[in-house]
Amino acid sequence: MARITAQNLIKRYGAFQAVHGINFDIADGEFVAILGPSGCGKSSTMRMIAGLESISDGAILFDGRPVNDLRARDRNVAMSFENYALYAPITVYENIAFPLRSAGMDAASIDRAVRSVAEKMELGQLLSLKPGALSSGQAQRVGLARALVRKPAVFLLDEPISHLDTRQRYRMRRFIKSIHQEFGHTMIYVTHDQEEALALADRVMVMSDGLIQQLAAPDEVYTRPANAFVAGFVGEPPINFLDFTDADDRGLTIEGNRVALTEKLCGLVRQIGPRGIAAIRPHFLRLGGGSPVQLRGQGFITEELQDHNEIFVDVGRTRIALVTPPGQKVHRGEDVTVSVDPDHLLLFPAGNKVREHSDDI
Amino acid sequence: MLRRKSSWPVEVLRYGTILLVILFFFFPIFWMVLTSFKPESAIMVSPPQFFFTPTLDNYAHALVDKNFLFYVKNTLIISVISTLIVVAFGSLAAYSFARFNVGDGHILFFILSTKMMPAIAVILPYFLIFRDLGKTAIGKSLHLGLDQHGALIVSYVMFNLPFAIWLLVSFFQDIPRELEHSARLDGLSRLQVLRKVTFPLAAPGIAVTAVFTLIFCWNEFLFAYILTRKAASTVTVGVESFFTLQGILWGPVAAAATIAVAPMLVFVLVMQRYMVRGLTFGAVRG
Repeated sequence: MARITAQNLIKRYGAFQAVHGINFDIADGEFVAILGPSGCGKSSTMRMIAGLESISDGAILFDGRPVNDLRARDRNVAMSFENYALYAPITVYENIAFPLRSAGMDAASIDRAVRSVAEKMELGQLLSLKPGALSSGQAQRVGLARALVRKPAVFLLDEPISHLDTRQRYRMRRFIKSIHQEFGHTMIYVTHDQEEALALADRVMVMSDGLIQQLAAPDEVYTRPANAFVAGFVGEPPINFLDFTDADDRGLTIEGNRVALTEKLCGLVRQIGPRGIAAIRPHFLRLGGGSPVQLRGQGFITEELQDHNEIFVDVGRTRIALVTPPGQKVHRGEDVTVSVDPDHLLLFPAGNKVREHSDDI
Repeated sequence: MLRRKSSWPVEVLRYGTILLVILFFFFPIFWMVLTSFKPESAIMVSPPQFFFTPTLDNYAHALVDKNFLFYVKNTLIISVISTLIVVAFGSLAAYSFARFNVGDGHILFFILSTKMMPAIAVILPYFLIFRDLGKTAIGKSLHLGLDQHGALIVSYVMFNLPFAIWLLVSFFQDIPRELEHSARLDGLSRLQVLRKVTFPLAAPGIAVTAVFTLIFCWNEFLFAYILTRKAASTVTVGVESFFTLQGILWGPVAAAATIAVAPMLVFVLVMQRYMVRGLTFGAVRG
């Protein structure tokens, strides 16, 4: 087990800088998910922790000891990969035994270790098969078993389940969580899937453009995003962004709706200025009045998903989404009032980077 | 592949066509082997004879009078050494091109550009270079002069290396980097990874490359013809030596050609299983 610290960590590829001097501290036994879009520097960060890539500047420390100059094999780090990285010509048993053989362990101990981990990973029946005969879920369990078998100090997972189909993914997600609870490794999990990150991790590290945007517990990342990027990247359906104007000590205007502000938000407005972006999650909106913060708009469509409905409403030029209990509906063009939970209204400065909605209707 | 059951005329047509194609391609070899066993009187007759009393005279002539095994020995030495060098350097070069993108693609392209001219265009410079090289001390010690094995080996390496590198680069690119990453985390050094993980996985590709290179070296004629007289001549040149002033000795030519082709036929048949198996060998993907 190990505590991992990054100090002003930088990764350059030639003239291109992928990671811009980031700092973090991951506690012993903690499960941290690194979340971000492709090219955000999350994989580079993970590979630097693993020792697969050199550290351009700054330092990584395991338990306070710098590991910059330590080779991958001397860091006692295990990793599982998106494409499983199993050795196709040899059996599942030999795949799992591989790291132990490399370490020169004796045959009896190898056999005991392999069988023990195989049992925990529900691979007992598959040991004599070759990787080609496995389903993708089984193959990834073999990958995890191979990583776990030598009792690593740090367990890294690089998008381990993004190749699986939806059902398998749910199963493997619970499986990985249970591994963490049982073995207690320091685990770092790289993913671009915000749902995985929220479901699995003790803390989520949201990265973008080579910088850490936020490192916090899932509920905090969800309800108190550090900036508009985090707000937009985390959450499904995505958060609603609306421009606000004419902000002063008492309120602000969103698409023609004058809205009164709580004390706390007034302080924020003073920092941001008269114009900016208001953000509100679809879950914290409801149809009808009764809130000090209300928006008027026209109904667009209703998606009836049975366990809940997703309702889309045009507020001025902006189309917003609401998640409501089943049964609620809007009709197209109907005048509706939407109530905003004032505790969950977020305000960001204008120009803050927002997730692009290329699939917007 | 999904195949519907066809009626018998279609089946007959199918197999008839296959038979025709096989006959078309196999006939020259069949005729060569047949001719090698014919007495001289049965060779140039019209219509051609399929039934005759077989004789080993042609083989005796080729092996005893012409000492054809001498050419086979030369060819074996030159081809095998050339192939070993090509595979050794080719796989290392291809690995660095595939993994580290050495030269940003420019060097890889430059390498290929050396293949863009016909051999005949460079044969004169080669001749002059080896003639002069043979007179130097290093040329003497490495047998790089005219009519010496080293000269042909160097020529064949020069000619096959670019092709081998290009072939191997794609094989190495197909091996997921993650396999190497995983092995490095599992306790292997970079060189051990290469030896224990990457090269074994690339073995089918290396085998294919070796086969192609060996076949090329074995069958090469132009360089062997120009750069050798006798001491380092290969089988292709050996066969040519049966074209004498008194006429072409078809019987011994056929016998010599059969002897020259046989090792390659056996070799390719042996390697074929391995090569086909290789196509389904790579790492597991999702």
